[in-house]
Amino acid sequence: MDALQEWMQSTPINSLILNFAWSWPTLESLHFLALCTLMGSLLVMDLRLIGFNNLIPLKAVHSLMPVALISFAINLITGLGFLFGEPYLYFPNWAFWAKMILILLAGLNFLVYYTKIEPMLVKLGPNDPAPFAAVFVGMLSLVFWFGVLSFGRLLPYLGTGGG
Amino acid sequence: MGFLVWLEATGLAEWVRSSNEGYPSMIGLHAIGMAIMVGLSLVIDMRLVGLFRAIPVHAMNRLFGVAWIGFGINFVSGSALFTTQATSYVVDVIFMSKMTLVFIGAITAAILQPAVARAGSWPSGRTPGGTKAIAGLAIVVWIVAIILGRLTAYL
Repeated sequence: MDALQEWMQSTPINSLILNFAWSWPTLESLHFLALCTLMGSLLVMDLRLIGFNNLIPLKAVHSLMPVALISFAINLITGLGFLFGEPYLYFPNWAFWAKMILILLAGLNFLVYYTKIEPMLVKLGPNDPAPFAAVFVGMLSLVFWFGVLSFGRLLPYLGTGGG
Repeated sequence: MGFLVWLEATGLAEWVRSSNEGYPSMIGLHAIGMAIMVGLSLVIDMRLVGLFRAIPVHAMNRLFGVAWIGFGINFVSGSALFTTQATSYVVDVIFMSKMTLVFIGAITAAILQPAVARAGSWPSGRTPGGTKAIAGLAIVVWIVAIILGRLTAYL
């Protein structure tokens, strides 16, 4: 882990982020904007699965998937920027690792959705309620992602890494 | 200013400022409320300007209820955070600009909500020009509000 931190601090990404006063706030603003569009698109999709809003056709809700994926990509890139900029703030911080584990769980949950749930949904009518397995996956998705958001926002206060 | 000085001296301000759980719990709630209100608003606004046409506009009506819950969370948590430095916040151009934009953003949502509820009767299903313009404005307003909110932390 120490070697990884030192390598991150030796990269040009590190100097780019630390040498310009506007780098960090720019990355943060992008990270916040994309978290809004990620959570917004997930809420619409997951609430449809859960059955809160069956007026939206099951297939139509899918048109939001690119928004979620692009938003996640932006947050992965900007998040790596924070990590390369100040790795020593994140590596010793348990809240950072809790966030990473929740992202992993959310990713696995998405794979379950993609491989098992979606094939079930295509057989349904546009406004049919989703089956229980889909309701469960939708709820898990919201729990995981709101957990990611909470640990991410609170990691400066919860962890031991300072900052 | 007398009211703001009093606010900063209240037990609430003291709790948010100094207790272990006060500031983190309010800032955490503020992030959650932001994701709900701004996230859902942006998705609805993007639909109204012409993206994701597969989603029927009127079907998004119920999402406003969820969005307003997010707004309520942020009104409460934001007010609590405001008490900690009320006198400095009101003279901060970036903070006051953010608040103005949040106010405008909330007004756009209040205008768009009844429009979305009536969307079933739109001729040819297309968003009327005025509604589309407000949704476009709302997208810009929310994006700038988020950026200014983030920059408030640097002042």
